[in-house]
Amino acid sequence: MSGPIIEVEGLAKEYRRPVRVEGPLGGLRSLLSPRHVTKRAVDGVSFALAEGELVGYLGPNGAGKSTTIKMLTGILRPTAGLVRVAGLVPWRERERHARNIGVVFGQRTQLWWDLPLRDSLELIGRLYGVERARHRATTARFTELLGLGPFLDTPVRQLSLGQRMRGDLAAAMLPEPRILFLDEPTIGLDVVAKERIRDFIATRNRRDGTTIVLTTHDLDDVERLCRRIVLIDDGRVLYDGDVARLKERYAPHRRLVVQLADGAGWHGVRVPGVARDDEADDAPGQVTLRFDPAGTRVADVITAVLARHEVTDLSLVEPGLEGVVHRIYAARGAA
Amino acid sequence: MSAAHPIPRHRAYRLLVTAAFRAEFQYGGNLLLTLAGGVVAQSVGLVFLWTVTTRFGDLGGWPMAEIAFLYGMRLTSHGLLVVPTSQLHSLDLAIRTGEFDRYLVRPAGPLMQLLCRRVHLPTLGDLATGIVVLSLAAHHVGFEPTPTALLYLGLALVGGALVEGACQLAVASLSFRMLSNLALRGLIDDIMNTFGGYPLKAFPDTARLALTYLLPVAFVAYLPAGVLLDRADGLQITPWLAYGAPLAGPLLYAAAYLLWRAQLRHYSSSGT
Ligand SMILES: Nc1ncnc2c1ncn2[C@@H]1O[C@H](COP(=O)(O)OP(=O)(O)OP(=O)(O)O)[C@@H](O)[C@H]1O
Ligand SMILES: [Mg+2]
Repeated sequence: MSGPIIEVEGLAKEYRRPVRVEGPLGGLRSLLSPRHVTKRAVDGVSFALAEGELVGYLGPNGAGKSTTIKMLTGILRPTAGLVRVAGLVPWRERERHARNIGVVFGQRTQLWWDLPLRDSLELIGRLYGVERARHRATTARFTELLGLGPFLDTPVRQLSLGQRMRGDLAAAMLPEPRILFLDEPTIGLDVVAKERIRDFIATRNRRDGTTIVLTTHDLDDVERLCRRIVLIDDGRVLYDGDVARLKERYAPHRRLVVQLADGAGWHGVRVPGVARDDEADDAPGQVTLRFDPAGTRVADVITAVLARHEVTDLSLVEPGLEGVVHRIYAARGAA
Repeated sequence: MSAAHPIPRHRAYRLLVTAAFRAEFQYGGNLLLTLAGGVVAQSVGLVFLWTVTTRFGDLGGWPMAEIAFLYGMRLTSHGLLVVPTSQLHSLDLAIRTGEFDRYLVRPAGPLMQLLCRRVHLPTLGDLATGIVVLSLAAHHVGFEPTPTALLYLGLALVGGALVEGACQLAVASLSFRMLSNLALRGLIDDIMNTFGGYPLKAFPDTARLALTYLLPVAFVAYLPAGVLLDRADGLQITPWLAYGAPLAGPLLYAAAYLLWRAQLRHYSSSGT
């Protein structure tokens, strides 16, 4: 198979919300003479994903991430534009499409609320027509990987958020879909649970070659999982490409944090392009320098520092995605 | 490659129904108790019927036993309908909470999944009461269980269920576009419940016509009951329409399903 597994072109979605007419049979009257307010939530989004990619789909609240995911999964019909996922138009060929994809919405569950988790997994296997032996093997493997064992027999409504999310992830991946859509899968989880889920996601992508689209507000998820991100705002693509390149573009500076020996003073360094970072929150005896690695070699900076100071510790800080994204959102607000 | 394969619709249905029953009994649901509850609920209607017929003797020329037969037919049809489709009432809820999203990303029909989201056991009481009333009344009116009559009765019962179901499905479909249509749904259910089990001949002409052509209540039980009770001549309608009444159900249901499919495209999920 060649060519992209997900193709999105000029995709748009408008929500038309009827304004309710008050009074008797108001519902009927709003149907017969409808008045609407329109909101263009997604406004001409285009991108393509190759099979096996793991992409972070990012943007501030209300950017249109979930709306895009809903069009990719076949829940919503686009107002305009093209979507093709594994060769199918999701909303038109819904059931065939459903067998190609797995979906997890962090905010709500896909599981049978009143049944034990075990029963939900069993039902999913049968509903998706997964061959019995294969289903048993996958269930056992996922139970182990996600640590589902202790609560397999607990009704889903009694599970904690983290337990439920792991259950949902297992359910979504049981039919071994080619594409997995994750809409905020780590929302509200503790560090350990997040790590477990990230591990699972990374493995599905690396080992099984599952194509994954992930939305999240936790940029650690992105740093840990994604090479590529698509950044959207107000329904439009702001950036599409490497995480590394994004950082170079928006946060080219590297930082060197110098911890001076007790009582030693700071005498400065005379290397062009190196300056003290005035945004840094330095502790006493600590100095943060910033420079652009494209013009200044790290080794030169370190040598210059060591030549003139007594130093107990040095650390080089890469720019974090957090700062980058913060800067982009802020710039957009100012524009 | 995905491990998923298509499965036949009837198997998907069986899986989902079984799951719904299991979930219901997880709550410690007691079949006998809820059944009894359903019967008691329906008995209110029966007491009313009994009061009306004993007070007036007959309605629109139909004696009490025949009205009971008609009433039993309508209640049985109603039972046949609501046992598998009670969850249609939860469509608003499923849309509002976003539960409906889930139906659209699974390899099964969304309507089927909605109807299987739970079972409502008291509806079995409606069905049981209907069958009891119909059987007793059949005995009293001297209904002759020839194969033809039984076949027509069976088709009429299923057809009646589908007529009521078509009305409910058509109105429910509007939920994809309207914020809420509970009032309209309630109105239709009320009309069906109030007039479905009585001889429409007893009502003024405008009401009778509205209940035949506007909201097809007459096709639920009145017309086929008239045929079975040899009253086809007094139905004030072309005989072929009366005899063909059981066909109205499948036709109307097919139309309602097309409307459902068309409205489904307007589904806009929910914010979160
Ligand atoms: N069902 C809906 N009906 C009407 N408007 C909606 C609906 N869903 C979303 N919107 C609106 O569309 C816009 C995009 O919403 P969307 O849920 O896609 O954003 P998002 O990027 O997922 O945000 P978040 O990070 O908060 O989850 C918002 O302005 C939202 O209010
Ligand atoms: Mg969202």
